[in-house]
Amino acid sequence: MMRFAVRRLLLLPPLLLAVSVVVFLILHLGPNDPAMSYLRLSQIPPTDEALAAAREFLGLNKPLLAQYVDWLTRALKLDFGLSYVTRRPVLDEIIYYLPATLNLAGISLVLTLVLSIPLGMWAALNRDRWPDHLTRGLAFFGVSMPNFWLAFLLVTVFSIWLGWLPPLGRGTPAHIVMPAVSLALMSTAINIRLIRASMLENLNSRSVLYARARGLKERTVVGVHVLKNSLIPVVTAIGMHAGELLGGAVVVENIFAWPGVGRFAVSAIYNRDYPVMQCFILFMVVIFVVCNLLVDICYAWLDPRIRLAGGENS
Amino acid sequence: MIEIRCLKPVAGVFFAFALCCFTIVPAWAAVKDTLVYSWSSNVGELNPHMYSPNQMFAQSMVYEPLVKFTEGGKVIPWLAEKWSVSPDGKVYTFFLRKGVVFSDGTPLQAPAVKKNFEAVLANKDRHKWLELVVQIDKVEAVDDLTFRLTMKNAYYPTLQELCLIRPLRFMSPAAMPEDGNTSRGIKKAVGSGPWVLAETRKGEFDLFERNEKYWGVKPKFKKLLIKVIPDPNTRAVAMETREIDLIHGAAGHGAGQLSLDAFDRFARDPKYITKVSQPLATRVLAVNSKRGPTADLAVRKAIQHTVNKAALVKAVFYSIETQADTLFSPDTPYSNLGLKPFGYDPALAAKLLDGAGWKQPAAGAIRVKGGAELSLDLCFVGNNAQQKAIAEVIQGDLKKVGIKVNLVGEEPDSNQNRQKTGEFSLIFNETWGAPYDPHSFCSSMRTPSHADYQAQLGLPMKAEIDAKIGEALLSIEEAKRQELYRFILTTLHDQAVYLPLTYMTGIIVHRQDLKGAQYGPTKFEIPFELIERQ
Repeated sequence: MMRFAVRRLLLLPPLLLAVSVVVFLILHLGPNDPAMSYLRLSQIPPTDEALAAAREFLGLNKPLLAQYVDWLTRALKLDFGLSYVTRRPVLDEIIYYLPATLNLAGISLVLTLVLSIPLGMWAALNRDRWPDHLTRGLAFFGVSMPNFWLAFLLVTVFSIWLGWLPPLGRGTPAHIVMPAVSLALMSTAINIRLIRASMLENLNSRSVLYARARGLKERTVVGVHVLKNSLIPVVTAIGMHAGELLGGAVVVENIFAWPGVGRFAVSAIYNRDYPVMQCFILFMVVIFVVCNLLVDICYAWLDPRIRLAGGENS
Repeated sequence: MIEIRCLKPVAGVFFAFALCCFTIVPAWAAVKDTLVYSWSSNVGELNPHMYSPNQMFAQSMVYEPLVKFTEGGKVIPWLAEKWSVSPDGKVYTFFLRKGVVFSDGTPLQAPAVKKNFEAVLANKDRHKWLELVVQIDKVEAVDDLTFRLTMKNAYYPTLQELCLIRPLRFMSPAAMPEDGNTSRGIKKAVGSGPWVLAETRKGEFDLFERNEKYWGVKPKFKKLLIKVIPDPNTRAVAMETREIDLIHGAAGHGAGQLSLDAFDRFARDPKYITKVSQPLATRVLAVNSKRGPTADLAVRKAIQHTVNKAALVKAVFYSIETQADTLFSPDTPYSNLGLKPFGYDPALAAKLLDGAGWKQPAAGAIRVKGGAELSLDLCFVGNNAQQKAIAEVIQGDLKKVGIKVNLVGEEPDSNQNRQKTGEFSLIFNETWGAPYDPHSFCSSMRTPSHADYQAQLGLPMKAEIDAKIGEALLSIEEAKRQELYRFILTTLHDQAVYLPLTYMTGIIVHRQDLKGAQYGPTKFEIPFELIERQ
């Protein structure tokens, strides 16, 4: 188990290095000139002298490889430079806005699980009857509905027409309802289908047949044998949802003026604030990879077949 | 029944969550003594001598100028209750208002004014876009209430540029860093204006409180809460749900407070009071006189006659902006010259093009001359929906007379690079508005990094225009200055290097419970202090 976790952790640095190279190249080989962005955002007229000074100051005169090495050396010391817009260290800014995003994504994840597990079970236990059709319809709707569109519909109904919920900002629990629902819908829809399929597979397994033959109560069969096994794929799904929710937060945070890192990143992209874009992408990669790593470790812990397939025979 | 039992605890959790969410007292309801406004970002640390991320409207709430710009370009006494200018136009003596204090209680006297000027001059390179800073020779505190400013030359817009929101406004010396160098940051935002910055929560809001020590008319509201709302659609919702009391600023894309169609919707709803400001600046296309077919004056004139501005104003701007026929609106200083608009006349345009040798091989075809097509690049910022809509209208209009327009939508930086290098036939541009128009805008026409310079570069009289701009800025006789501006603006008009589209306006939206909301003399200031709840 330990060896499995260590092996996965060792893969992290080369992965991050590869991602950093790609991100760096995409941002620096694009048609834009970071020096021009810097001047525009600093409200300095882009005269030739000003551009030359900005290139010198930002180190853009050096060859690309040297620029990358400079950036990487500083990044290893967790120095990602200053935002062109706010003039504050980029990492400090991201860390400042992160709790609001984690708050939103966390609540959305809880909402996803709380809604999808019972609905998925309900659908599986009533296969081809109306509860199954209903949840299938709901799942179809959830997957097809873009989160920003749902967000606008929720705002129209619950804030403008009914006046029940605040349309923007953060503060009271009421503020999080619509952002969390908008964000959770798609993951919920996917999870319902996943749990349903997994439950159906387990309900038809031999172990369930034998359990029933042993005369166990239906409640025990479903609650212990079927549900426990059906939730293993959900653990993998949680890893995917963590990414989906953090990514989805970028859009939802803008609509609800939620002061999170997603909204900060959108304004950075809009402003072409290069240091922020670079750090944000890398940061998101770290979160994604770490979430998936945790999920893999949990999975290996829950299901010995994974550990064995991974080569750990002891 | 197994599924029902499993659902019970889950339903319980969900019910508790819902209950807790729905029973919250709405904290977003309007508070009587607080005015709630919104802006796309936080206002910044409010350093009076620096630029981004400090927001100009907020800097003007906290810091005050020596003299103030009012309607029609008139300059009135402010922190200086009077001033005198030496006969050679080089020495300005300001007599400061007695009893003015900063919000921390420090008296606002000549030594404090001098210290602020010195802080700006210490960072001269950063401010050299402003001719005033370049022209300052010496600053002196003659006594506690007398401040003397000596210029290198008689620079006539001195008073206008002292009105600007930045960099020449004054903070308490006690809030400056020990070495007096404010370019590296300040201890705290302490000014003498009607508002005091009380609290900032990044990404959420900035809270201002009334400056109880203010010497002038104190704000009617005790507090001013400025919420951070980046998205104009969210702002419209915030207005409908009473999250904010006021929308005040530019309409349209980008930094706009509200989309034009949302404003149109509010204007039709009797629950709201909506206002449109006087012209604040001009939206123009710079036409390149150096490169491609637009180097030909006949082509430039034909473009002027072909674009149907009246239809553009109606279709794209819902008539919220008005049609512009000259580079500066006639109420801009030195700009009421009676210039004759080109007028919408596609037949005349076709005649001009024919006369210049641009022949149409067949009806509806692109015109050619010497084997070259009459094809123009209209450059705009790709994700600016408003520029794109305008560009498409112009493309359609010009096609009618046989001019092909290629729409070049790009990243903001690439677009700015084109302005700098002159790689465009037509490119979007805006004048800077009061108090910069016309002098600062004209002054920038001499800088190669501006689209104006590049657009004018092919004019045979470019050198003369630049020389006259320099002369106008340093002239001390009003009549002579007017004549110089007459030459500059008439030449630019006749040479058709600008296609004026609309006079940009600002918008105001609030509910019936507010009164006193109005536009200031410049687009950068919001007179919050005049607003009250009925």
